[in-house]
Amino acid sequence: MGLLREISSKYRVVSVIGMAKNAGKTTTLNYLIAEAEDEGLRLGITSTGRDGETVDLVTGTEKPKVFLPEDAIVALPSELYELSDAGLEILRLTEHSTSMGQVMLCRVAESGYVQIAGPVSTSGQKEICAEMLGLGAEMVLIDGAIDRRAIANPEASDAVILATGAALSRSMSKVAEETACVAELYGLPEIDEAWMRDEILKESNAGKIIIFKGDRARVSELKTGLAAGAALGNLIKKDEGYVYIPGALTGSVIAGLPTDVLRNTAIIVADPTRIFLDRTEWMRLRKKGLRVFLMAGVKIAAITVNPWSPEGYSFDSDALVESIGAFVSGIPVIDIRKGKRDENFK
Amino acid sequence: MAGDIATTKVDLTRVKPYGDTMNDGMTEVTFTLPVPYGPEADEAAKQIGSKMGLDEASVAFSKDLGQGFTFFVMYGKCQHTVDFTTIKVAKADVEIMSREECQEYILNNIKRNVIIVGATSGTDAHTVGIDAIMNMKGFHGHYGLERYKGIEAINMGSQVPNEVLIAKAIELNADAIIVSQIVTQKDVHVKNLTNLVELIEAEGIRDKIVLCCGGPRISYELAQELGYDAGFGSHTYAEDVASFILTEMVRRNLI
Repeated sequence: MGLLREISSKYRVVSVIGMAKNAGKTTTLNYLIAEAEDEGLRLGITSTGRDGETVDLVTGTEKPKVFLPEDAIVALPSELYELSDAGLEILRLTEHSTSMGQVMLCRVAESGYVQIAGPVSTSGQKEICAEMLGLGAEMVLIDGAIDRRAIANPEASDAVILATGAALSRSMSKVAEETACVAELYGLPEIDEAWMRDEILKESNAGKIIIFKGDRARVSELKTGLAAGAALGNLIKKDEGYVYIPGALTGSVIAGLPTDVLRNTAIIVADPTRIFLDRTEWMRLRKKGLRVFLMAGVKIAAITVNPWSPEGYSFDSDALVESIGAFVSGIPVIDIRKGKRDENFK
Repeated sequence: MAGDIATTKVDLTRVKPYGDTMNDGMTEVTFTLPVPYGPEADEAAKQIGSKMGLDEASVAFSKDLGQGFTFFVMYGKCQHTVDFTTIKVAKADVEIMSREECQEYILNNIKRNVIIVGATSGTDAHTVGIDAIMNMKGFHGHYGLERYKGIEAINMGSQVPNEVLIAKAIELNADAIIVSQIVTQKDVHVKNLTNLVELIEAEGIRDKIVLCCGGPRISYELAQELGYDAGFGSHTYAEDVASFILTEMVRRNLI
């Protein structure tokens, strides 16, 4: 069964995010577009960066172009419209403006190469996706930029495809471990207690830190934990049950918490895109007793691997697929160019 | 070949460097090779020049830099041409207003003070960019944002952690964050700018602020790739940044 059919039966908006630059996001996107054409599925396509240019803006390496079949719906700003090789019919001018012009929604009237770029903000992307579904797209793919992951936010997309590969590290085990770490964070447990969820949702617009103890909630005046580690440390006593942090959870936010507080208080964040801890920090803090709960997790529909690095080295494709597959269960791991799939997945 | 015939008229579809006459391709290159000074070094430089696409590459000057390094000044005729008529560069889509016009625009359309927080964030210690845009005296005769009536400009300086910059913006309820990246190695500016925008998304304030980056390696295309509202490269001044921020605030109804 094709990857796309499997994914499209479960999710309507899927974003392709990368563990690193050159991890194969655009290759994955092209593969899904080709499958959609075969299946006769009408796609909507947008990008959080810019896609389909021939040379990478940052590294100067060659990039895959994006070929769109007839009838697909695409988001792109006015400046890229002029550069498009495909025949595009403008459906709607949106209110989203980018540094490359106003974002337009177009129908591909004549298939061809297109450079894609959508709104710069996650909330802008969310609106664009809804518009594309409204215009008749059966499924929407959002291509991520560089290693930006904000688009994985469950409010913006139903699931993600995680592109990883040799570009991440020269060590294959490190590629596997780092990828598995992201999968672990995305699958952290969601907080069950209904009254705590209600309390958090009630205060969500104010964006304030909430402390839960027993059956009582205390809303603090602190608007962010950023650069406020010490203040946060003073706020939380060692016998509190949970603390909700509305924004980013970074190493410096946690650094302000004494060890006994860290051990006794679980942290709740909105979703995994709020967690800014690398694998080493995560492992170290876990050992010290850190527990993190989510309001909503992120579903990983598939992990795609690119065994080639632009720096010139490569891994054995099968070995890479297997080493990642060993860490993650229930997620298909695929080298798209080869069609090799982790056998453990059913 | 027709293009090589002496002419005074430029063919914009086949532009090449100009020295003394049209289309002579004369180019000066300076570089250093990690080889000891001597005739072999000059020959190596000539071969490099030839591989760069220079015809009749000649070393006009070379100097021993010591420790096995040699510096060269080379002349040659560039073989390549570019089609100037097909070149497209993304530019800001807003009308640039003067300082006085910006002030009037605030008075008429925003009707309150606009708060702009800026810094050179990450490891970069260079304040030259952010100072040129924000400081009262400005740069090249263009006054900085601190001098604008109606703008509260907070320049946090250099080597400011992204988290501290964002915390300040949240504390002050800022309308815009501007970040400068001057010196970078191994694309650390890209990592740093990515981290900043991701943190801003995570803090849930992306929609409430105008987000701009600036520096010699920043372009509008890169800004788009990174998720910024605008990017300001070299030869941009406070009025470019102010005009963009103010019109963007009104357009997005952030007033």
